[in-house]
Amino acid sequence: MLNKLTALVIALTLGATLCASEATAKTFYWISHGSPADPVWTYFLAGAQQWATDTGNQVNTSFHNGDVAAQQETVRIAIAAGAAGIVTSSPDPGSLVQVTEEANELGIPIVNMNTPDPTANFDAYVGGDLIDYGRQWAQYLVDKKLVKTGDFVWLPVEVMGATYGVLEEQGIASVFEPLGITWEVTDATLDQGEVITRMVDYMTANYDKVDAIIGLGDLVTGSIKRVFDQSGIAPGEIPVVGWGNSLDTTQEVLLGYVNAAQWQDPQATSYMALTLAAMAASGIPPGFDITTGALYEADQAQIYDDILSGK
Amino acid sequence: MPSFVKRLISKPEFGPFVLLLAMVFIFWELNPAFLSLRNISNTLAFTVELGLIALAMTLLMTSGEFDLSVGSLFGFSPVLMWTLYNTGIASIEISFAIALATALGIGLISGLFVTRLKIPSFLVTLGMLLVVRGTALYVTNGFPQRTWNAKDLPLAQLLVGDFTVAGLRLHMSLLWFIAAAVLLSILLTRTKTGNWIQASGGNANAARARGVDVNRTKIKLFMLSAAMAGFAGVISSIRTAAANPNSGTGYELEVIAMVVIGGTALTGGRGTIIGTVFGIFILRLMRNGIVLIGVPGLAYNIFIGTIILAMMALHSWLDRRHQEGG
Repeated sequence: MLNKLTALVIALTLGATLCASEATAKTFYWISHGSPADPVWTYFLAGAQQWATDTGNQVNTSFHNGDVAAQQETVRIAIAAGAAGIVTSSPDPGSLVQVTEEANELGIPIVNMNTPDPTANFDAYVGGDLIDYGRQWAQYLVDKKLVKTGDFVWLPVEVMGATYGVLEEQGIASVFEPLGITWEVTDATLDQGEVITRMVDYMTANYDKVDAIIGLGDLVTGSIKRVFDQSGIAPGEIPVVGWGNSLDTTQEVLLGYVNAAQWQDPQATSYMALTLAAMAASGIPPGFDITTGALYEADQAQIYDDILSGK
Repeated sequence: MPSFVKRLISKPEFGPFVLLLAMVFIFWELNPAFLSLRNISNTLAFTVELGLIALAMTLLMTSGEFDLSVGSLFGFSPVLMWTLYNTGIASIEISFAIALATALGIGLISGLFVTRLKIPSFLVTLGMLLVVRGTALYVTNGFPQRTWNAKDLPLAQLLVGDFTVAGLRLHMSLLWFIAAAVLLSILLTRTKTGNWIQASGGNANAARARGVDVNRTKIKLFMLSAAMAGFAGVISSIRTAAANPNSGTGYELEVIAMVVIGGTALTGGRGTIIGTVFGIFILRLMRNGIVLIGVPGLAYNIFIGTIILAMMALHSWLDRRHQEGG
């Protein structure tokens, strides 16, 4: 038995050694707090893969579904492996402070993307300003006279407590609170089927109460058409704003289900974040952040629909 | 073959031990950074947190039950503790005690439902998972509790303070894990309680006939399992500077996999703490190694699932060889 076992180990090791010999010169780590089931992260990932193809560097990618401990562990794996650079989103405010310091100490560039965390000492941030996005969405509803004092706005989100929702709600609160507009955040989960079920249930129970909807994530905003169709709500009957990084949402904007949607340039975010990390690894420190994003309505939606369709 | 080698091979922990060695060797060959001090330190930090839950789960599964609510307790207990502390209701020590007492209470309720109402533990703890997770979300409105400055508190130092040994940065949680593994191993293999646990899982009716208080034994194990999950969650919240009501999602299945890979029978009656320790390291090192060698993010679960299946097949083969006297 031991002989067979030894042979198995040797065979696996030989295979592993052959694989290892094909390694490329520079390895970067792209670490997401998101879920591979979240469509927008597919576009972020595509940007990272495109960068790897264009530059010839290796990019090791991983998703962590909001699990802070697992994400911290992966950042430390990248540090232990002597990564040329690390690009990571932030799962919770303050949760990457320590690991960022560890990367700083070893001179490994670490760039924050998608969800900012000013408490951690990242080399740069690439992405949107989530508080500002929230403020823009709320202000859009107010400016277009879609909500007024005393109204109620529903804020579905995929992961309650995740950084993006927390920061966006802060921005929304800064507009709604002074105007006496109330709101409620509800948990929709990251499972598409469950998202639709929960949102339909909520609309069924609160149809008379909801004056507008702000989708705090791509999955929930991209589910609006299916939720409205299933609940018998006509396009435009309830104003909707929110994220717009998926084909579902661009179509919803074109069809009138969603009034305005936020484009975050997901592929560009990953691409630019890796570029900054590579630049820092070459000794040119990025002394700036890169802000991405645009709020688009039906007249601009086709542009983003084409990008997401690969046209 | 020398008798000591035969004895070694005949032990149920031999299979997982060989798997662990093989895995370490392969990942090390693929990327030497796998065995760097920094990576070992990194791996030990998170591994022992999940490991604490797995140790208690080993005893519970040996008694023929299991607990699906451990992941939600991992998230709920620190949220409760930090909510009490951050709002000034109680000191950190009192908050910690209340969080653990609440976890014990939740374990007690699960145990009473299983033993008194005769409802399968799968259903009871699935319900408890939802109740506990839902409570954590409702109490916090989904917002994480701030723990950023926790590391200076004496309790934090005691639970998760770090120290360096020969260049290896370690956390106090490792010592808690080792202490728990030693104590629970002695409890399971060398005490009357350990016999009762195995008898409860092997043949509960026969155990009762021999005077074993099966219900009381199981209730205590549900309480231990819940308390360990809460304890691990508190440790993790301090180390990671994050107390999020969603923490621990999916940990219950990972912990059960650790226990089973380690050699504890899913049906109860047979359990091994040493095997579980191997199982814990097998699963966590596997996740660590896969990232280190650069498996694509979207293919991650394919590799994890395939390796688990391969390990279970090898484990089964080694076990059959052992049963046949090979």
